[in-house]
Amino acid sequence: RSYSQTVTITGKHLALYDIFNSISKQTGYEFVYDEKLLQGTGAIDINLKSAPLSDVLDKCLKDKPLSYAILDKIIVIRPKAVKKETPSAIQPAAKVEGTVVDAAGQPLPNVAVQVKGTTRGALTDEKGHFSLQAESTDVLVFNYVGFDKKEVTVGDQTNIQVTLTESNKQLNTVVVTALGIKRSEKSITYAAQQVSGVELTKAKDPNLINTLNGKVAGLNISPSSSGVGGSAKVILRGAKSGLGSNQALYVIDGVPMNNSLTSQPNSSFGGSGAYDGGDPISNLNPDDIESISVLKGASAAALYGSQGANGVILITTKSGKAGRTVINFSSGLTLSNVAYKPEFQNSYGQTNATNTQSWGSKISGAKDNLSSFFQTGQNLTNSISLAGGSDKMQTYFSYANTTAKGIEPTNKLSRNNITFKETGHFLNDKLTAEADVNYINQTIDNTPLSGFYFNPLTGLYLFPRGKDMQPYKDQFEVFDPTRRLMVQNWPFNEDVQQNPWWILHRDPNSLDRNRLLMNASLKYDVNKWLNITARGSMDRINDVYEQKIYAGTIHALSHANGVYVYSNTTTNQQYGDLLANFDIPVNDKIRITGVLGGSIRDVVTKGEKFNSGQDGLNIPNLFVIQNFKTFNPLNSGTLQENHSQVQSVFGSANISYKDWAYLDLTARNDWASNLAFTPSGSYFYPSVGLNVILSQVAKLPAFISFAKVRGSFAQVGNSPLAYQSNPAIYNFSAGGGFSPNTTAPFTDLKPEKTNSLEFGTEWHFFENRLSADVTYYKTNTKNQTLQIRAPQGSFYDNFFINAGNIQNQGVEAIVRYDVLRDTKLKWNTGLNFSTNKNKIIELSPNAPEFTLSGASGSNYVSKFKVGGSFGDIYGNVLQRDAQGRIMIDANGNPIKQGGEFVFLGNSNTKWQLGWNNNLQYKDFNLSFLIDGKFGGKVMSITQSVMDQYGVSKVSGDARDAGGVAVNGVDPNGNAVSKVDAQKWYSTVGGREAASGEYMYSATTVRLREVALGYTIPVKSTNFVKALKLSLTGRNLVYFSKKAPFDPELTMSTANGLSGVDIFMPPATRSYGLSLNATF
Amino acid sequence: CTKNFEVYNQDNTGITPDDLKGDFNDIGAFLTRAQRSIINFSDGGDPNSYQLQQNLNADCYSGYFMSPNPFNGGQNNLSYSLINGWNGEPFKVGYLNVMASVNRLRRNGVDTAYPAVWAVAQILQVTGMSRVTDIYGPIPYSQVGTSKSAIPYDSQEDVYKRFFLELDSASNNLRAQINGSLKPLPFSFARFDLVYDGDSTKWLQYANSLRLRLAMHIVKVAPALAQQQAEKALDPANGGVITSNTGNMKVKVLGAGFSNPLVFIAQNWLDIRIGASIQAYMSGYNDPRIGKYFDKSTDTTFPSRYQGIRIGSINGNVSKGDYTGYSSLNLTNGTPSFSITTPVQIMTAAEVYFLRAEAALRNWANAGGDVETLYNKGITTSMEQWGAIPGAYLTDNTSTPAGFTDPKNAANNAPSPSAITIKWDDAATPAAKMERLITQKWIAMFPEGQEAWTEFRRTGYPKLFPVVNNFSGGVISSAVQIRRLPFPQNEYNTNGAEVSKAISLLKGPDNGATRLWWDVQ
Repeated sequence: RSYSQTVTITGKHLALYDIFNSISKQTGYEFVYDEKLLQGTGAIDINLKSAPLSDVLDKCLKDKPLSYAILDKIIVIRPKAVKKETPSAIQPAAKVEGTVVDAAGQPLPNVAVQVKGTTRGALTDEKGHFSLQAESTDVLVFNYVGFDKKEVTVGDQTNIQVTLTESNKQLNTVVVTALGIKRSEKSITYAAQQVSGVELTKAKDPNLINTLNGKVAGLNISPSSSGVGGSAKVILRGAKSGLGSNQALYVIDGVPMNNSLTSQPNSSFGGSGAYDGGDPISNLNPDDIESISVLKGASAAALYGSQGANGVILITTKSGKAGRTVINFSSGLTLSNVAYKPEFQNSYGQTNATNTQSWGSKISGAKDNLSSFFQTGQNLTNSISLAGGSDKMQTYFSYANTTAKGIEPTNKLSRNNITFKETGHFLNDKLTAEADVNYINQTIDNTPLSGFYFNPLTGLYLFPRGKDMQPYKDQFEVFDPTRRLMVQNWPFNEDVQQNPWWILHRDPNSLDRNRLLMNASLKYDVNKWLNITARGSMDRINDVYEQKIYAGTIHALSHANGVYVYSNTTTNQQYGDLLANFDIPVNDKIRITGVLGGSIRDVVTKGEKFNSGQDGLNIPNLFVIQNFKTFNPLNSGTLQENHSQVQSVFGSANISYKDWAYLDLTARNDWASNLAFTPSGSYFYPSVGLNVILSQVAKLPAFISFAKVRGSFAQVGNSPLAYQSNPAIYNFSAGGGFSPNTTAPFTDLKPEKTNSLEFGTEWHFFENRLSADVTYYKTNTKNQTLQIRAPQGSFYDNFFINAGNIQNQGVEAIVRYDVLRDTKLKWNTGLNFSTNKNKIIELSPNAPEFTLSGASGSNYVSKFKVGGSFGDIYGNVLQRDAQGRIMIDANGNPIKQGGEFVFLGNSNTKWQLGWNNNLQYKDFNLSFLIDGKFGGKVMSITQSVMDQYGVSKVSGDARDAGGVAVNGVDPNGNAVSKVDAQKWYSTVGGREAASGEYMYSATTVRLREVALGYTIPVKSTNFVKALKLSLTGRNLVYFSKKAPFDPELTMSTANGLSGVDIFMPPATRSYGLSLNATF
Repeated sequence: CTKNFEVYNQDNTGITPDDLKGDFNDIGAFLTRAQRSIINFSDGGDPNSYQLQQNLNADCYSGYFMSPNPFNGGQNNLSYSLINGWNGEPFKVGYLNVMASVNRLRRNGVDTAYPAVWAVAQILQVTGMSRVTDIYGPIPYSQVGTSKSAIPYDSQEDVYKRFFLELDSASNNLRAQINGSLKPLPFSFARFDLVYDGDSTKWLQYANSLRLRLAMHIVKVAPALAQQQAEKALDPANGGVITSNTGNMKVKVLGAGFSNPLVFIAQNWLDIRIGASIQAYMSGYNDPRIGKYFDKSTDTTFPSRYQGIRIGSINGNVSKGDYTGYSSLNLTNGTPSFSITTPVQIMTAAEVYFLRAEAALRNWANAGGDVETLYNKGITTSMEQWGAIPGAYLTDNTSTPAGFTDPKNAANNAPSPSAITIKWDDAATPAAKMERLITQKWIAMFPEGQEAWTEFRRTGYPKLFPVVNNFSGGVISSAVQIRRLPFPQNEYNTNGAEVSKAISLLKGPDNGATRLWWDVQ
């Protein structure tokens, strides 16, 4: 973005509003003002060409009761009233001087300083300096738009230093909307919520998106359990797509980012094919981000095309600033620990000397093996940024280094981010060129793999109670003289478990990512109402993944000589668009702004994967591809390119009437390569929105400061995934063989359509002290492409259908209140509430259900069918008689019900509430966030397996109690009230559990984030202009948690495995210290 | 400009039908795939599919094998706690690998262009699908491939009748090929034949032997049809049956990455060991084949010997390592019979002699000898197959099966299951004759457990040790033993209405206790 300093404006009877808008368009400056100020200010005739900005503003406001101040790139319009001192009855004797600065130590000019209760006052000068006459008993009120009001008692001070802090009020703030178009928030016809960059850096997480958790109504974030650098599942307004992505679209400076996931587990076994390499958003440096806007619904996003159907997270990055050089350094250290541990029994030992289970005789206590395994995680982030420039050129440079280690030993992340951005103005500032380059290098070692395989936690948790684990930690490998090799030291041979330290050191994985993200744009101002922008961007992500499985790894998972997995993938997204932005004041009352444009987006993945698989290696433990015994096309080879290209034309118009009614119209047509070979090669989708500012139309009681109602309807089309309409007929199979594709081609495929309807209203009361914003929405996704399992007698294993109607509806509400505003202690509080209800209204007649992920080996399947909802969990239950009594067989074992799985619950949160608080006292600032997610049910396979092995606390308690108390019945119809603990848990628990017994409420209430900041007072003339120290904590307390794990964590951030815990690493609790210095 | 869209939307890793036309790969690929899938090793190294297709059910239910691995804490198919995720694999392989491949051949026009090749495809289909129906009972057969959403099941009776018709067609085509009335093939059929190197005569003899096997399956429920089909199979005019080990039906393990799946599981995963029943019989009989079949135990806690594992004994109280030292396949001792490239055995000449002996016992035409001759020939052919010297085996009328002792857990010990001896005795009771005949046949069919389990269910012989732990919740009787596998979970999910109808064709609940159509008490 550019900041031009000269302005050309000619016209007669122009409203101030229009002039401001025109200046904003030409210069890039934003205006901030209270709309009421402009009422009745009349029209102006003006004729200025290439005039300095200040001249134009002076001329416009000359005869108006208004003055202006330029702060950074914001022009603040405020009443002129206090400018002149008004003589009063008593002239105070003393002269008081002072300086007003912002939190960064920068002087604030044009701050209104008023003696409370009088009309006496002054404005600060350019150096933030003021002077006026005041008594020692007077109270000075410092008032500045965009900042919190501050009151200072004069006392015996004669030179007063005042620091104003930016307010969180969003009235008249500017929101970045689709395609980077900035609009005043009040004109927007749909729900949008803005978060400042400060929120992202308050308490840092290796994945910046996790720091938004609980701060935005309707934004549902589930961090992956895959350790440092893992991805996060970010869902707005409920999941709707079974096969495609449900994740919000990220847009950086107007360009959609490819956030395709590297890989996610989709079976209960996990394993090497199921690592989580981190999503592209997690790579960004949070310090580079200026602000984030969350556009929650499809209407907000119609202009981004299909991907916008899931909502959009718009990221605006920092730029250089004209005329001011700022160097910012920040450093933060966060330590993290496991937030909870599974509960173990300590009174019963190993079943027998060689057994893997703990159903043996009484023992006197057992060690806590977990504390010898888990370590304190660390996240050290250092970043520096330099921003500055002249009127013609602005530069921004930043470097950040992140070094983190997870709670599982050997899990490490190292990341370097370099950003360079340059903006230049040419041809009398008519042409603006901007380019930026971001280079990211990230290495993640030993991403924890959840599930049964290659997971150190299975061996750790299931290890027989009372048996000493230390020897296996001290010596995870031993010399095997028959092989002349070091092999695993572990007493058991079972596919689900290995020596935890062997897995860490001898089955390691690593992911090395190099990413280059480049953007360039040219903007030309054709005339005062039209500019043309051309943009291009390239985002190239190269991932190299390796897993080395050493000889000595259990036979079920490895060849005797080891296994090597290597993949090298490059995803390249190219994006280009051409936009004509127009802003036409039709007359005094009506004004049309909008955009016409076209874009092209092309994504290709290239690469190859080599996996020696069970065929193994020739020479043990030599991890190169040459050492493969054979090459099996089922494991190895060229990867699918998944080449997708979308070409689009679109247009939008925003018609405003007298600044109180706004009508938004958008339309888009997409041509998608993924629709090749189908009857419909393209699809069209429109949106419409209307917004009325009630407080400007009608006379409302004085306590209502602002009122707005809005409504919008949008349709978003979506193309299927690559190759769905044209799958390969045959695939390569082992040993030079070929096999028919088991996925049926889908030639009558139709593009998906999501219809989204929303209504909202926003009210501010008591001079904006209290505000509330409520939105209701309903989305219906039709013609969704789903992959359905086929009866195998069709010769296919699965096929595609266009499914009926998946509905999400819900309410989002935001309430903010300045509890204490004009006092020394300031306190503002905010509530974010949201609820979503998903319902499958209709599927295809020949496909009654859709499976998201099934897990053989865990009696669990996540699927949806008509009448159910997305992510319903089905599983196995115990067989009961007509009276509901559990049936027990003649041997005293409970009986599991065979046949079809039954519905057990849904993992989705029913409603969530975030309570955010900011307190400020002098130079101290305290913020805390409590959030609750209510409703939903989750499953713990971890618990069921621990129960079967007899290591869990409940299994011990049951033995102490002489058995499990049940309401059961034996084959002869006699009541059974107690079942032997081992018999019970051997049947009910385990991988093939009666999974219905392992469902838990997902309700969780936690202290999500606490940050205590201290702004160290420094003189603005010092070398260091501002200094801030913060102490932070994340996920500190669970006020309520009913499941044996944190239900928010997810094994996969794709659509499967939601709400099921299969030996996921526990959630963490973290504490941090950070320092921020500005030079 | 969207003119490249069709290029973009083309899977760069896929193969088009045109790509396969060269060198007749569109025929060869599917013929070899069908052959490698009957006992599935078509996916190369990882024999996960075969493990669920056969190894953890029929191979163990037949008394041949037992897994030392306490899968799911010992609560699994081997203790009659049937696992959903395990029960669908034979079905899946039957349709997606065997029938789908044959279907591709038909769609590629092989049935009209190359009738002799089509004949082999049909024989492979009958071989593969007869195993599937013998696991579940009713299966989709006549209407496969007609829909993506609902595939009706046929009763097992109808499926068997169709098998015979398909064998008729295949045999006619093969005879035409042999007598030269068909055009010569424009390609080398041997290249695509992993069984008989393109020898139509051997295929015809196998087809007749297969017909004889299927006919015998239904002898109790449809004796007339069984006799008619058996006599047709045995009629020398129709080309004869397999008479020597060179005619054994076994699929070669050729090509990079392919392995004999049973050997792989025994050798690499240590997931399968010798069953108690076969060990008890062969030990008791001092069977000269025992060292050809098995390695001695390697567990250091008891003396090295041929030691099997009782089915259902691997419960939650034992760990895998406790039993991996029990006898494995003959992989190391002496000159091992088994290696990773050992052909996968489906039918042997010995089995055919025993089938003929049973035909003679039933006084059917064309058996080609008296019962005793054919019985002895069955044994000696088997000995010859394994390179064992019969010695006095055929005349041994005293040795009986041994009892079973488990050196690690006496609770698994069991007395000898039977008093049946080896030497043929024409004066024995009909039941004893049947037991003797089937017992020897069972020993000879090792290690192919699917047919052995079928014959056990049909005849009740040999007398196998029952499961030690029965976790079926009273559904499956330990004494009667398991009779079938339930229909796959995926069929319930995707083809539910047809499964309901199939259950009515089954004439019993969909569980492991319900008897199949031919399984008459």
